[in-house]
Amino acid sequence: MIKAWKLMRVMLKMQLSLAGKSSMEKASYLLFGLAMIPFGALILFFIQGLISNMYQALAPSGNESVILGLLFVMMTFFFCFVSIGTVLSSFYFAEDVESFIALPFQPYQILFGKSAVPFLSLYGLNSVLLLPSLIFYGLASNAGALYYIYAFVIWVLIPVIPFVFTSIVLMFIMRFANVSKNKDRTKVLVGLLGFVFAIGFNVLIRLDSGGEGGELAQLVTEQNAMLQLVTKFFPPAFISSIALTEPAAFTGILYFLLMILLSVGAVIMFLTVGQQVYFKGVLGLSGGKRGTFKEKNVQKHIQEQPILYSLWKKELRIIFRTPTFFTQIVVQSLFLPVFLIILLIIDPSSPLTGLGGQMEGMEDKKVILSMFGLTVVALGINPASFSSISRDGKSWFNHLYLPIPASKVLLSKLLVSFFMNVLSLVLLSIAALFILDIPFMMWVLWFILSLVMSWFASIAGLMIDLYNPKLNWTDEREVFKGRFVGLVPLAVEAVLFGVVLLFLWNMEAVQGAVNVSIILIALLILFIASAHIGLKRLTKAKYYKIN
Amino acid sequence: MIEINNISKSFAGKQAVKDLQLSVPDGKIFGFLGPNGAGKSTTIKMMTGILPIDNGSITMNGIDISKEPMKAKHHFGYVPDRSDIFLRLKGIEYLNFIADVFEVPKSARKEKIEYLTKSFGIYEALNDHIQTYSHGMRQKIVVSGVLLHDPDIWILDEPLTGLDPKSSYTLKEMMREHAAKGKIVFFSTHVLEVVEQLCDEVAIINDGHVQFKGNMSEMKQQFKEDDNLERLFLELTQND
Repeated sequence: MIKAWKLMRVMLKMQLSLAGKSSMEKASYLLFGLAMIPFGALILFFIQGLISNMYQALAPSGNESVILGLLFVMMTFFFCFVSIGTVLSSFYFAEDVESFIALPFQPYQILFGKSAVPFLSLYGLNSVLLLPSLIFYGLASNAGALYYIYAFVIWVLIPVIPFVFTSIVLMFIMRFANVSKNKDRTKVLVGLLGFVFAIGFNVLIRLDSGGEGGELAQLVTEQNAMLQLVTKFFPPAFISSIALTEPAAFTGILYFLLMILLSVGAVIMFLTVGQQVYFKGVLGLSGGKRGTFKEKNVQKHIQEQPILYSLWKKELRIIFRTPTFFTQIVVQSLFLPVFLIILLIIDPSSPLTGLGGQMEGMEDKKVILSMFGLTVVALGINPASFSSISRDGKSWFNHLYLPIPASKVLLSKLLVSFFMNVLSLVLLSIAALFILDIPFMMWVLWFILSLVMSWFASIAGLMIDLYNPKLNWTDEREVFKGRFVGLVPLAVEAVLFGVVLLFLWNMEAVQGAVNVSIILIALLILFIASAHIGLKRLTKAKYYKIN
Repeated sequence: MIEINNISKSFAGKQAVKDLQLSVPDGKIFGFLGPNGAGKSTTIKMMTGILPIDNGSITMNGIDISKEPMKAKHHFGYVPDRSDIFLRLKGIEYLNFIADVFEVPKSARKEKIEYLTKSFGIYEALNDHIQTYSHGMRQKIVVSGVLLHDPDIWILDEPLTGLDPKSSYTLKEMMREHAAKGKIVFFSTHVLEVVEQLCDEVAIINDGHVQFKGNMSEMKQQFKEDDNLERLFLELTQND
């Protein structure tokens, strides 16, 4: 076990060290931390209001434990969802996995070390959401010291079981996935699990809480029913809730001890299963399939193409073939529209369905402005754009010695992010035209505006990445994980278009969807022109200095 | 002809290359030697346009790499010291991409791809992703890509690392043939036997500047006639 601890310390140091990061990067972490303070305060304020209101409403009927139950179920969902990505990345996809396998470590020791970073990331979430919630609940219920002691221990233990559960399921999946011949394709499928899980969970809750809505009392009972149903699948949430509602009673103590016992048991099970299964999933994972040779397949690839098209094709091939890029870029671009479509299909009574009909009472101008506003938010974070340069990683230097002008390389990358946005727009159009019944003319205007907006969003993302790329990654996930740069273009766009939309919304002189669209397009073209000038300057200053 | 005129490069206050002066005439295989951290890679990166030059200039066949980078880059082919690039592309996709970059006409690229990859024994792996290649195969595909557009100047950074004896022999033969046609092969290496076998001229660089430049016999004359290259190298590069 001493060896496992030592290994964990080394792995933590490697992943979390700030060594080699520029002072600018360190400063940006600090700035981000400071910027998060008001946001954090807002979350705290929101949680406090929610818990005290719910407590006041539920305590008279003795149902206040429902708050804790709901909280723990929610946290379990978050922990499982986050763990799918972090566990896969740390246990299987990180480049350093193979170098540890060559060292004389037991599988459980490597697994123990590899768990540190994903596990710590759960505590981040745990500290932001659960810790204040438990304190607010304590305050609302006037709890004694014993509650806080229990709450602290449960706070420490609560991520253990979801983490172990997710890891074990993934270890089994990867053990069989590794048998398959096309490793990359399997990795993509496993990477999709997170999205399937999120959609599945949502569908489950929606189907279960479906019904006509109606009176408040009925809704409360229905939600209770749903909660009981959901806690049935999450016993630790049930046990923790009881322990915290009656801390001094015998049942409370019993359930508290049971929770400790279960968590310890889970860790032992994790290491035991890991010892047996982990290496079976990880050994040989980095290899790939070598096909049988067919001369005509070689010949068909030999063709002359314009360099811009060749670059664009290369980028797309890399995105579609690299499991992490595929899940982070392609799936994420398609996630929101597909999610929307699925939700609308399974819940036809949703207030969104038949939006077109409801729009009739609204001014055309305001309809198009609202639709455009939503597009800004939906397309604002485009992972293809803010990973444009970083995706190349240590291969970036290849662009520098090849005789390709910087402008062409960057244009090909812009076209790739634009293409990804177009994919989401097409899917959103299907939802808009066929499910939401948006009038055709409105759709045309929105589609044109969104296309132009996408170009602007793609440049904004590219500029941010060109300014501060992350090339020294060991696992492709680092390009997206913990990089807050993706939020910068969204913030810029939100401020810029927020002002424009507010102005146009209130301007009496401008009426009609067509007029307002023309003004928006003119403004967008102006913004794009300025962005292109900015990009040109940035290219001159940075392109050949990225290393 | 490669002309390197008093180039310098600093990183965060530390000077990696100081006033380096070197000229490589046509028709030569030129070995570029030096211990780790001597400034070899930095010099090659400046020659190929990967790193901007702080002071001085570099010309390839009379074209300044800083002033006319696109034109200069068409005159050389560069094999970097790392071959784990474009791993998600298939071998043939990589070669076709490089041929597009250098605008190699279709008939010539077909012929070249077949000739090079068959010489290196990787033709039948062209449909597989580069990720599935061994280190040596990756090196071969990169070398094949570089030679596709038939550049006048070959700049090779540790080109023989990872190659099996047959491919290593093939590449060395290609280098000799290229130089015999009056063109330049500029390569860096740590393998002194290869330098002795292959090079017409060598330069030894240490601590950012050239310690010695000349042909093998001049080198031996300047030092002890009977010494081997290894001993000479150690003597030249020891930092006292």
